[in-house]
Amino acid sequence: MTMSHRFFLLPLAAVTLSVPAQAAVYLTVEQAQALMFPGATFTADVRTLTRDQVRAIEKAADVSVRNTTLKLWRASTGGWFIVDEVIGKHDFIPFALALDDEGAVKSVEILEYRENYGGQIRDAAWRRQFDGKRHGARLKLEADIQNISGATLSCRHVTDGIKRLLATYALVIAPAAR
Amino acid sequence: MRSSSHPPLVERCRPLLGTTVAVRVGGLPADEAHAAIDAAFQDVGLVHRLMSFQAPGSDVSRLNHAAQDGPVAVHPRTSDVLRWACALAAASDGAFDVTVAAELVAWGTLPRPEGERAPDPRTSWRDIEVGADGRVRFHRRLWIDLSGIAKGYAVDLAVERLLGRGAAQACVNAGGDLRVAGRGCEHVLLRTDSPRAPAPAAMIELSNGSLASSSGRSHRRHVDGRRRRAVGGDGFVSVVAERCVVADGLTKAVLALGSRSGPLLSRYGATAYAQSRHGLWRSFGVPATAGRA
Repeated sequence: MTMSHRFFLLPLAAVTLSVPAQAAVYLTVEQAQALMFPGATFTADVRTLTRDQVRAIEKAADVSVRNTTLKLWRASTGGWFIVDEVIGKHDFIPFALALDDEGAVKSVEILEYRENYGGQIRDAAWRRQFDGKRHGARLKLEADIQNISGATLSCRHVTDGIKRLLATYALVIAPAAR
Repeated sequence: MRSSSHPPLVERCRPLLGTTVAVRVGGLPADEAHAAIDAAFQDVGLVHRLMSFQAPGSDVSRLNHAAQDGPVAVHPRTSDVLRWACALAAASDGAFDVTVAAELVAWGTLPRPEGERAPDPRTSWRDIEVGADGRVRFHRRLWIDLSGIAKGYAVDLAVERLLGRGAAQACVNAGGDLRVAGRGCEHVLLRTDSPRAPAPAAMIELSNGSLASSSGRSHRRHVDGRRRRAVGGDGFVSVVAERCVVADGLTKAVLALGSRSGPLLSRYGATAYAQSRHGLWRSFGVPATAGRA
């Protein structure tokens, strides 16, 4: 199959309105559990971090703890499943972390991602460019623009979130499990 | 998971390569799609581990430590990326050059490798030798940084993996460096962070190809391999090419070469869209396959 591409510009006159956001939902919590611990059942073990625990985690991870509720599940096959979120460039990024019985990272899945468009694409005249060009179907911009390319966004916030949860494991989860 | 006019599409996203990597497949039953995505993430994760500048045990760290003393055995993926890097460096007359890590360290963009002596300032890509056996040797003391090309390479591996698993449709997007394969097309908004906001937004509709972008506007600076200076100024470049490794590497060459990048782009069947600091767009290289709207 051969490569093809087209380049479109948004007319200058239209670029005065608000900024919409791209939102992708990748996995539900249940889907993430099934993927990260195949065949396991889960026991919820939601905890509230005490002020002392928050301080200890912040000191160990050098990352601030914004939410004192720890959404934790024990997997029947061994290991832990945690749902957490970090603040990205513009919005919250929920993610799931799977830890093995020793507290080592098994896998990380981002559950949802929202990103800033940096431009306005609601303009009707600009949209009409696409009419009839896609198997007769009108391009639904919010749904069909699924990618953004630009200067690479760092995933540091997610990395920091994982660091914070590993400290949480060491200081809160592991001692209670012994 | 997203609904679409071509169901079922399965999409997942993980933090890898210093950014978020989204993998989307169509045309496979859900369990096969997830297994294919797992395999694609493993490919990307391998590139992440082998080509990290920071991680002490990575191939890149081992090369930066020892390749000036004699040939170093590396993973075939690492040799492969270095062959691509040297080919792009030769074609761009050194505008794209992976031996610019010393500059990136000096500017604080990359951390200084611990206990390493500074590289020879005369180094260039010509000092890299990738043997037929895949072993790598540096002819001067130098530091390579593969972050300008490894992301695109990882995207190619992941897309090929998905197609190999029978996906009818695949898209892998590593923080804006992406490749699309199979039926359908992808719409990619170019987020240029123009200093003259509001500037015209642009979008690329892409089938069976790759798109990568680089900006002189980001905190992550790029280096002109010939002059060893930061390139791009306030410029922004997106490159469309068949392979993502090529698109990724060419963005930096186009930031350095500007309007003189036409022959280089044509050689790879590639097109560049560059936005100037004033917000104006120009294209170089092979004209778009379908007419511009």
